[in-house]
Amino acid sequence: MMARLDGKVAIILGASDPRSMGAATARRFAAEGARLVLAARRKEAVEAVAADLGATAVACDITNEAQLEALAQTALDTYGKLDAAINFAGVGGSAPVIDTTAELLREQSEVHFVGTGLFIKQMARAMTGGGSIITTSSLTVLVQAHGYGAYAGAKGGADVLVKVAANELGEKGIRVNSLAPGFTKSAMTEDYFAMEAVTKAFLKEMPLGRFPTVEDIANTALWLASDEAFVTGQRIDVTAGQALRRAPRDEEFV
Amino acid sequence: MGRLAGKRALVVGAAGVGNMGQAIARRLAAEGAMVAVAGRSMDVLEALATEIGGVALSCDFSDRASIFAMVAACQAQLGGLDIAVNATGWGLLKPFLETTDEEFDRMYALQLRGPFQFLQALIPAMTEGGSIIQVSSATATIMFHDHDAYMATKAGTDHMIRSVANQFGERGIRVNSISPGVTETPMTADAAAVPGLMDAFKKGYPLGRYGTMEDIAAGCVWLASDECFMTGQNMQVNGGLTLRGNPSKAEIEAAVTAATGAAG
Repeated sequence: MMARLDGKVAIILGASDPRSMGAATARRFAAEGARLVLAARRKEAVEAVAADLGATAVACDITNEAQLEALAQTALDTYGKLDAAINFAGVGGSAPVIDTTAELLREQSEVHFVGTGLFIKQMARAMTGGGSIITTSSLTVLVQAHGYGAYAGAKGGADVLVKVAANELGEKGIRVNSLAPGFTKSAMTEDYFAMEAVTKAFLKEMPLGRFPTVEDIANTALWLASDEAFVTGQRIDVTAGQALRRAPRDEEFV
Repeated sequence: MGRLAGKRALVVGAAGVGNMGQAIARRLAAEGAMVAVAGRSMDVLEALATEIGGVALSCDFSDRASIFAMVAACQAQLGGLDIAVNATGWGLLKPFLETTDEEFDRMYALQLRGPFQFLQALIPAMTEGGSIIQVSSATATIMFHDHDAYMATKAGTDHMIRSVANQFGERGIRVNSISPGVTETPMTADAAAVPGLMDAFKKGYPLGRYGTMEDIAAGCVWLASDECFMTGQNMQVNGGLTLRGNPSKAEIEAAVTAATGAAG
């Protein structure tokens, strides 16, 4: 049987840590036959992930458009084309709205909104034969979490941008979607997972009764990247059903 | 190995030759599932069951006892149930002001009460968890003319799957709906036979074509597989139709007039 990404070339941005969604997606895509360009700000870290998979590693900061352009060009130069591009680049940061600084709003916007917009732009320019672009939304776009105004606002803005991009790019055969992870154990959330009070409060709000894993995220990216998904302009929920409920508040973390 | 190897599936609404339920059943079987197909025409179902190595079950989806009997028979014959798809439907096109109570009642029975009762039968039957898929419609979200009873019931099922997903996720049961746009099926065959009519829909699709039954079947494989961790979601599998929309009645009439040279 043919693997589900045989012959495909994919870029995965945000794959510097073996425990990350990006690295899990890279492993899954490699197992399904894709040739990969992996990217992150930290070159040595992404090289380590790439080495195990026979992938190409590139240093790339999503806030730097020239580096995004070079990232896409690396796929074209190395493998001759680009079929799928997934963005997991993200930065944490929270504050109550009344204490939110312009700096926090700008930093969150720079990475999650401006960065995502430029990622879509540069990847789409390289996708001359159509393709699938996937970016990462968040549970916090779907349910309100205290302190996440800047983070969720930037991610939510990016989701709207995804819809406009999908509408514009469809005729080039390019699909654009986002996936919304719930509270997922990854490199970025490890500190939260160390606190039982936090995990207990979150688990209570998950209809499926367990936390999403980086493998769940990878599987979702695989579906969206494959030719089988006649889906564009959508946000795919990977929150364990938590979007049906709520985000716990800080005072519940006891 | 297929992506649904070892799974036991039920597809209701598969008794029309070449319909969406049949396409879904064929694909689930091709992915390794043991599939029971259900509906009202046993001769058609028997032929499909023979083709895909499954079983045929009789069901009138507007009758509670028939729905429960189908689910029980499926459980008995397949030794359990992991995947259930409701692909029944009645594509009534009738101006809002002319839709009769009788038509609305029939629509309600098939497209809202039936799905409700189907879920009531399925939850206790899926003792080892599972995936339930309701075929919805893009028109549960976006507009179309003369389709009010259909759209209202489809929107009702979308919310129903959220509430059921929320309550039964802890049993390992995921519940989602999948929304096609306009698709060439036996349900739309009469419309598709009108020159120019289907072309009027194409500009609403960012991906440049409207969907196929195979697209929906592929979406069902994803939702049914253990790889999918979605629940309570309505997944739009229609090439971005919801970003644009369906043609208006006037646009369709103009397209048909242009294609046939008729004077309208």
